[in-house]
Amino acid sequence: MAHCERASKPLLQCLRSTYVRGFTGLQVQSTRAFQSSAAPCEEAQTESKPKKQSFYDNPDPNLASSPKVERKLMRQGIMPVGSRRRRAALQHSSNIPFEHLPFQCFQEARKVLLADREEKLKEIESVRQKLSRLQSLSAEEAGGEQSRKSRIVALEMRLERLKILADINDPIVKKRFEDGLGDMNKPIYRYLADQKWREYRRKILVQRITQMRVIPDVLANCDPVVDTKLYFGKRAIQPGDFVNSMVTTNPPKLDVQMFERGQKLVTIAVVDPDVPNVEKDGYDYKMHYFAVNVPISPTSTKINLAELSADSQVVLPWVPPVAQKGSPYHRLSMFILEQRDSKPLDFAAVKAKETVRENMTLRALQTRYLLKPIGAHLFRTQWDENTLEVMKQIGFPEPDLELRTKRVEPLPYKRRNPSTFR
Amino acid sequence: MVQPRLLAPLRVLERAFAPTLRTTPQLYQPQSLLQRTFSATPPISKPIPSLRLLPLSHVRHASHASQGQANRHARRPAGKRLGAKRTGGEYVVRGCIIFRQRGTKWFPGENCDMGRDHTIYATEAGYVRYYLDPQKHPDRKFIGIVFDKDGKLPRPRNAPTARKLNKVLAPRREDKFAPASDLITAAQPAATGDAASGPQLRPGYMYREANWQIGRAAEKAGVTTKPFNRKNRWVAWRKRQAKRERGAQMRSLRGKDKSKKKAKKGKGGR
Repeated sequence: MAHCERASKPLLQCLRSTYVRGFTGLQVQSTRAFQSSAAPCEEAQTESKPKKQSFYDNPDPNLASSPKVERKLMRQGIMPVGSRRRRAALQHSSNIPFEHLPFQCFQEARKVLLADREEKLKEIESVRQKLSRLQSLSAEEAGGEQSRKSRIVALEMRLERLKILADINDPIVKKRFEDGLGDMNKPIYRYLADQKWREYRRKILVQRITQMRVIPDVLANCDPVVDTKLYFGKRAIQPGDFVNSMVTTNPPKLDVQMFERGQKLVTIAVVDPDVPNVEKDGYDYKMHYFAVNVPISPTSTKINLAELSADSQVVLPWVPPVAQKGSPYHRLSMFILEQRDSKPLDFAAVKAKETVRENMTLRALQTRYLLKPIGAHLFRTQWDENTLEVMKQIGFPEPDLELRTKRVEPLPYKRRNPSTFR
Repeated sequence: MVQPRLLAPLRVLERAFAPTLRTTPQLYQPQSLLQRTFSATPPISKPIPSLRLLPLSHVRHASHASQGQANRHARRPAGKRLGAKRTGGEYVVRGCIIFRQRGTKWFPGENCDMGRDHTIYATEAGYVRYYLDPQKHPDRKFIGIVFDKDGKLPRPRNAPTARKLNKVLAPRREDKFAPASDLITAAQPAATGDAASGPQLRPGYMYREANWQIGRAAEKAGVTTKPFNRKNRWVAWRKRQAKRERGAQMRSLRGKDKSKKKAKKGKGGR
């Protein structure tokens, strides 16, 4: 990591020259993620070999800077924090906590921010008191049920806003969020994650589902409010990507990130609106997967469609999508629908009712079970080199037939208005 | 120049109006005197106004423009046969041209498309509809196709798309999958050469082979010719003979034509 060290040299020199090691006590106080890196150089010098061994056995994600150690960490499921350059710099720094950085202007600015935060905390306290007072009042005392409700809602919104405003200027919060260490139980990290999602990924998703006409074809409208990621195995699928039919034989994994507080019960449906129907000279719908009562929350985001419980959640298990040769590409649209008031649906009744995959439309389900779409995803499939094999696996009827474009009979020639011909 | 005969009355005039000037020696110089007299005359002899306007009033009488322009009809080109080829409600099949236009007076709506000269044509068989869709665009006029005779356009924004399959089931043919990557490896040039030799869209919108390939057609077909040998006088004589015969034949034909014409003329003259 010679280049990392070289790059981080100026920073180190700056830190060393301005500070003469007086912060060992402060390191204990700080609760930040840097603390475990307590002067690794010194330790390595004093007690040389056993300590070094232990570092490689149990590497620190804040300090690992060689690709080998990083890979080891990633295999354990821990992502190294920040950039490799920063990690290399931290290995040899004297680890001054961020709050104690010796820059006068920085410290003055921090004072201003802290004062602002104090102010916001006081305001939060006052709004909370107001809210509790209002909730304790009866409808007559507060001047009608309607006004009481609206005032409570307004105060709650104000409270949420203040919680975000209290922390939004904190540099540590920003750093932790950017390092991916943000706690999704806290409103500020949820807010930042939501902003980041809306900045780019949500726009892409909405564009894909509207341009590929999933939105009028499968559902009338959808305003995504949860960030949905789709994985087949380890491969992340971009919204609207073509996926090989061999890859889609196994059900995908989902990563559904909520940005609101609390837990929700959702229904997950995968619909294909492009099943060709030659008799009808049109297209049919097919439900490829349908599961109800799936809990999601800001912290528990991973959903493996294969591992949902067959007795209480999965109504229709996964069927691999196949596109017959000659048919236009199939859009496999995945929708995450919120159940009303997060109440569980009666699984047995749903299972008894929804048995036929063919021509099961999501619009009908939406009205029948009072569902509200909160997230969407999309991938496409078409005839490829593995489709025939998958067709044989799933017992697709007539795998040896293909769809060919109908010949157009031209209209008979009609002589038009001969009197004007010259 | 003023002639000397006229100078005498002028001198009298001068005497009458400017007697003081008589003594000056310049009086006897005819040129200067003339100038002075002219400068002195205006207040007395009023100049004719038409004389002053003379250089400005250049009137061109109707002699030039009335002859007409040499190539007046150049400004009236032939009609381009634009406009609607199918009316609203008429049945069309796929590829049927509905509207020819310059620019986009009309836009393709449902089940229609626009050609490279903005021609609107049908992509599905059905009935033509001319309509406005303010939700899609406030100003544009659209041409669309509906499948039912009494179908309506525009359709609601959130209604599922109406489409037709237009396919039939047939036994499956062998696949030709494109290579996964478009990077050319060492083993591929032969394949790419074959692909290039096929007819392609070339200037003039025609599918044909490249000129160099047409030039090599004989070589490809295995047509061989004897190499030219300048010492072989027998072949040279035969070629020359053939050329002469051809020349003679042409001359005889020309002669016949001339003689015919002459004969006709002669007849007419007599």
